[in-house]
Amino acid sequence: MEDKKIVVKATGLKKTYKMSKHNIVQALCGVDIEVKKGDFSAIIGPSGCGKSTLMHILGLLDRPDEGTLEIDGVDMTKLKEKQAYKMRAKKIGFIFQGFNLIPTLTAMENVLLAGKYGGMKIAARKERAEELLKLLGLEERTNHKPNELSGGQQQRVAIARALMNDPAIILADEPTGELDSKTSLEIMDILKKLNREENMTFLIVTHNMEVANDCKKIIRLKDGRNA
Amino acid sequence: MEIFRNMWRRKFRTFLTIFGIVIGIFAFTVMGSMALKLNKMIDGGKKYVTGQITISPKGSSGYGAATGTLPIDTLNKISKIDGVDQVGALVSLPVEEPNLDNPSINMGEPPSIYGADNKSDFKNKNWETMAMKSGQMPDKNSADNEIAIGINIATDKKLGVNDTYKIRGRDFKVVGIVEKTMTGPDSYVFMAINPAREMLIESNPFMKSLYASGKLKLEDVNSMAGVTWKDGADSQKVSATIKDQFGKDVTVMSPVKMGELIDKASATMNAIILGSALLALIVGLFSIVNTMVMSISERTKEIGIKKAIGASPSLIAVEYTLEAGIIGLVGGAIGMGLGVLAADIINNKMASKGAEIFLIQPNFLILVIMFSFVVGIIAGVIPAIRASKLNVVDAVREL
Repeated sequence: MEDKKIVVKATGLKKTYKMSKHNIVQALCGVDIEVKKGDFSAIIGPSGCGKSTLMHILGLLDRPDEGTLEIDGVDMTKLKEKQAYKMRAKKIGFIFQGFNLIPTLTAMENVLLAGKYGGMKIAARKERAEELLKLLGLEERTNHKPNELSGGQQQRVAIARALMNDPAIILADEPTGELDSKTSLEIMDILKKLNREENMTFLIVTHNMEVANDCKKIIRLKDGRNA
Repeated sequence: MEIFRNMWRRKFRTFLTIFGIVIGIFAFTVMGSMALKLNKMIDGGKKYVTGQITISPKGSSGYGAATGTLPIDTLNKISKIDGVDQVGALVSLPVEEPNLDNPSINMGEPPSIYGADNKSDFKNKNWETMAMKSGQMPDKNSADNEIAIGINIATDKKLGVNDTYKIRGRDFKVVGIVEKTMTGPDSYVFMAINPAREMLIESNPFMKSLYASGKLKLEDVNSMAGVTWKDGADSQKVSATIKDQFGKDVTVMSPVKMGELIDKASATMNAIILGSALLALIVGLFSIVNTMVMSISERTKEIGIKKAIGASPSLIAVEYTLEAGIIGLVGGAIGMGLGVLAADIINNKMASKGAEIFLIQPNFLILVIMFSFVVGIIAGVIPAIRASKLNVVDAVREL
């Protein structure tokens, strides 16, 4: 277990938001986090503890004020803005609470989009998207638009999209937040199966203890620090 | 594909935006075709007036004037001036007697008689021969009743070669039909000078009485004359000499001066026509800008998703710019189609009166289409750059 590759290593992450002149919010005050290949971890904590901020920083959507961040062995602290989107496309997969598919695109096109951003060739893109949609049991739904799919199906399309570029880590922000309990279980089963069978690395942000207890490792945050 | 679907999302708004561009491009097509036609006519006229020194009786208004005449004696003297090659007398008058009680408004040039001395060697330097659709121009061997007619007159009066055309009570035999020029000659009747002189006299009671009393000779009735210069002579100098010697009696229009005058007039006209069309287009442009700003703020979330999953800012910018470009292109294609249709219908109605006011040129239409795309792109660029600079975290927070 010790020789597992480190996928995400963050130390002393700090982030402050200046909401107005007198309202400065310290979202993170020195968070350390380490995620290894094949981990299935949950970040939990009360509302406002900095979960989302941490997720944004780990997902390269935002930058820390202080601290270091390495993803897949690459130092992200010195990464220029122009390179951040390339890293996002290739190294990180996102699964959001509200599915966040592009409404005008079909399931297949939504998945293909990630391949396009990841720089995959058209033929390879198509083959990979078909394979993923089949893996997630959506082969009958490839030409449906998001509004023609159930919540569970939409989230499965989002999972396929996140897997498209074979990322180093998949960040899931409340992946079952908008699903009923039965569908939530289904989605968690899919994630666990991907972790088990494909050795995919997951970092799941949640405040749902059932989801957290499903994870192999729990990282607790409180008031912007590791608790 | 996604672009079309995005446009289709808000059908009514897209329709309104496209409609704005349709109006702009419609105006641009119609006005542009009108400008092209005017330019073509002006060019034809310019080619003619710069190919000769034009002389008209002092006090007349130039072409088609019937108030004064150029005595043959003056013309003969002019032909002796150093540098002058040939002098050709011309008589020009409307084909139909103007009816002042019921004046008709003519958009193009009214059908005119162009009476030239078939026996002379005078030829406009820029316009030596006319291309013929059928038959031939009256020449030295032609009888006085033989005429050639412009295509508009042939179409309007349904005349062919060997047909008889009655002008001002006289029968003329059509011996030639001139190929379409898109300019003045399309509405001309080319005839020998003497019958034209007689008709001019008949149209003017004062000249008629002078002629009847023998004080006015037929050969002295010339409404204008063209003067050509010898090869190597300077047309400006020749004009100046004529002006020096005969300035009291005749107005001399030098080719260079006339060319400049025409250029100035056509530039002003083009500016007015194209300016008004551009105004319509600018309104259309802002309607695209407005739509794009609206649709980008509506799609903040989508842009956030795309950026989160790795879309580069430039890709986002290109996507939205292209969407605006396509709105421009679709609006442009429809506007241009309607413009061509309108111009064509009006042209067909006016053709018989020799008053086609639009010249539809494929090159211009291609330019219009490209232009409409460019207008869309220009309108889309700023909103698209705004979209590409959208803060991902802010956008994602909306998720």
